[in-house]
Amino acid sequence: MERRKFLKQSSLASSLFFVPGFIRAFEDVVTKTSRYKRLVIVQLSGGNDGLNTVVPYQNDLYYKNRPTLGIPKSQILSLNDEIGLNHNLVPLKNLYDQGYLTIINNVGYPNPVRSHFRSMDIWQTASDANKYLQTGWIGRFLDAYGKHPYDAIEIDDSLSLAMKGEGLNGIATQNPKSLFNLTRDPYFKHLKAVQEDAHLSEHNLGYLYKTMIAAQSSAKYIYETSNTVAANNDYPNNAFAKQLRTTAQFINSNLETRVFYTALNGFDTHANQKNRQNRLLKTYSESVMAFVDDLKMNGTFKDTLILTFSEFGRRVQQNASTGTDHGTANNIFIIGENLKQQGIFNGAPNLNELDENGDLKFEIDFRNIYATLLDKWLEVDPSKVLNNTFKPLNFI
Amino acid sequence: MKPQEIQHLYWRAGFGILPKPLHDLQKKSKKAVLNDLFFKSKNDSPLRIDTSEIDHLLTNKGKLSDDEKKKIQQYSRKKLIELNAAWIHRLGTTDAVLREKMTLFWANVFVCRDNNVAYMQRYNNTLRQHALGDFRAFVNAISKEAAMTKYLNTQQNKKQKPNENFARELMELFTLGEGHYTEQDIKESARAFTGYSHNLKGDFVLRRFQHDQGEKTFFGKTGNFNGEDIVDIILEQEQCARFISKKIYKYFVNDSIDENHVEAMTRVFYKDYNIANLMHFIFNSDWFYDAKHIGSKIKSPIEFMVGMNRLVPIQFSKPRQLLYIQKQLGQILLDPPNVAGWKGGRNWIDSNTIVLRLKLPSMLLNNAYISKAEVGEEDTMINVKKNVFKKGFGKRMDINCDWETFTKNFNSISINELQNYILAGAMNPDTKQYIEGLEKVSKKEYSIQLMSLPEYQMC
Repeated sequence: MERRKFLKQSSLASSLFFVPGFIRAFEDVVTKTSRYKRLVIVQLSGGNDGLNTVVPYQNDLYYKNRPTLGIPKSQILSLNDEIGLNHNLVPLKNLYDQGYLTIINNVGYPNPVRSHFRSMDIWQTASDANKYLQTGWIGRFLDAYGKHPYDAIEIDDSLSLAMKGEGLNGIATQNPKSLFNLTRDPYFKHLKAVQEDAHLSEHNLGYLYKTMIAAQSSAKYIYETSNTVAANNDYPNNAFAKQLRTTAQFINSNLETRVFYTALNGFDTHANQKNRQNRLLKTYSESVMAFVDDLKMNGTFKDTLILTFSEFGRRVQQNASTGTDHGTANNIFIIGENLKQQGIFNGAPNLNELDENGDLKFEIDFRNIYATLLDKWLEVDPSKVLNNTFKPLNFI
Repeated sequence: MKPQEIQHLYWRAGFGILPKPLHDLQKKSKKAVLNDLFFKSKNDSPLRIDTSEIDHLLTNKGKLSDDEKKKIQQYSRKKLIELNAAWIHRLGTTDAVLREKMTLFWANVFVCRDNNVAYMQRYNNTLRQHALGDFRAFVNAISKEAAMTKYLNTQQNKKQKPNENFARELMELFTLGEGHYTEQDIKESARAFTGYSHNLKGDFVLRRFQHDQGEKTFFGKTGNFNGEDIVDIILEQEQCARFISKKIYKYFVNDSIDENHVEAMTRVFYKDYNIANLMHFIFNSDWFYDAKHIGSKIKSPIEFMVGMNRLVPIQFSKPRQLLYIQKQLGQILLDPPNVAGWKGGRNWIDSNTIVLRLKLPSMLLNNAYISKAEVGEEDTMINVKKNVFKKGFGKRMDINCDWETFTKNFNSISINELQNYILAGAMNPDTKQYIEGLEKVSKKEYSIQLMSLPEYQMC
């Protein structure tokens, strides 16, 4: 405290610029009274096979439908006498045991679409299966409640539809430094002069200037703020873990961002599924564990909630190439410290009652999940984002 | 015709215009300029890439084996990238600019996507073929395209179990717009499109046993309608002409609608649904050249890339890099976000895309360098900075820029006039002041400065 006092009393206001980053970060933490909650979204792209992720290992129908693809009972990390986790999800089991994980089974939507592309589109825009929206659900959250592009950050090079609103979009960055560098050419700085123009958003050119200025300041803010803490090195070495590591750096530096969007690709396992999916699940769970540990160490886990979803699950019956084809309903994971209903939220999928394609029937609409996150976690009115009345559930 | 009007016409009907053709057209009347524009787009030359490795599979009489299906899929994945690059190349080099611009427009009306390259190529050429033709024939052709019957599930639309996807989007997104039909209209018209399918080659096939021959009631009319009858009834609605006129107005004239102008367009289009006549009407109207329209639209990523390419031809040795840039900019040709297409206008612009758009011309064409030397100063940093980029990040870019063509095309233009040829509209006063305070090091450096402005995003 002595040092802080000294710094505060320092007659040179500019001395602040010479204060090492970590001290400034520390100051931020102590002076900030209202911390707010952050949502981290993990998108498993390609359609993760939910039945080999959360396995109904006591159900004979499961093994009957998957004679070579089924996960042997002996390997299952049992959660209860009905379902258990894939053996590559040891870290996730660990989170489960600590009460940090809620599994919601049978999540989907009416008239499911089995195209990756379209189903992902539905999940990202939160539309009905027969409606096409041009804004994403996070984008509409920004429209209604956001102020800056950095209110929602996608850890990528370009924005998904999920992040695009009518009037405000999120910002994408994998590497705050290179985004910052892109905006930094002094040439662009000089174009800033026009920001005094009162008619900035009236015409399209003004809109470009306005967006450019906002982008410059967002890039600067993200880079300079995140730079106040060092990234933790205790992560597995893969691209997904790197996304989470960057996310943790953002969160731990107290970046005022409400939503982070990350993705892990490669779940489209039509052939020789086992090794591939196992490897991906291992990557997923180890990376998430490292992320949770990192947040816990920095005291930010309690303000963070992680949603994991995939655009669809896969067919119950394995195909001829020891893989699975596109299916429908799937499980999702909610990870956090403030779970109301820890563990398993609802019953295992019913393998007796499949649709005409041999796919699972959904029980919970994914938009009820979104509504819950908006209402109970981000504390906003879900009807302003979902254009419909999806009732919040009570898992948080 | 005034040079600024010709430039405006060419930004909207094409992808900009170079000094030489501009000077040639300047001597002509508006009538002659328009005749020239339409004449150059009279013929339709299909876009074709080599798909020989799967062509024989697609002419198979029998069913495909799983391996053959897989081969088509894998081959298509690679070839779709090539088709994408071929299309962009076409946009950058064609003289039939109006036809190509219209093709691009229709690709965002009759939105479709497929993972079979042969079907996608066919589809693309159907758009090109009808781009300036008869709208009725166009809609019917679209409804019978293999890629479309796959994309909107008409293939699964069977007498016993109709699938409404195509019928719904036909009316909501392709011809009438939401609120101009009933749910019952969708149900009935879906029955009329039952049995619409295609063979392996991609030719249209009406599966007779799956087609519902029964009576349907659609927009108050009753009969044993088939798909073409439905299209006829839709076109009888003036709303159809209005819906398309609105889309065309937004794309070619201004993001915000002028109801009077759209009504005038609607009257012209409703008469015969001839697309060329409608376009001629617009380009011939005085209001099209109103000052408020000039340089008022935000270029789409493709317009931006193609326009740049017409100034300084760029060759990508790796089509994947070109694809990557499209992704970053938010528009990958042949890969629309969903059947509603790209929203366009301000929606093209977010923090990431604006930053990239401003930086891209210098990165692609000038080793990321934008000169900032002030009037009277020598730019001493120029070579050092360019070399740093060339040795670093620049190594990863596998492109060839043809500045010689630029030099040749702009040979007769003085450096002080350059902005009149590169920018579509006026510069922001503050920006103008800043630019005027900079040394014009060379035509090349000055053109890079201009292309790095928000103003360059406008057309």
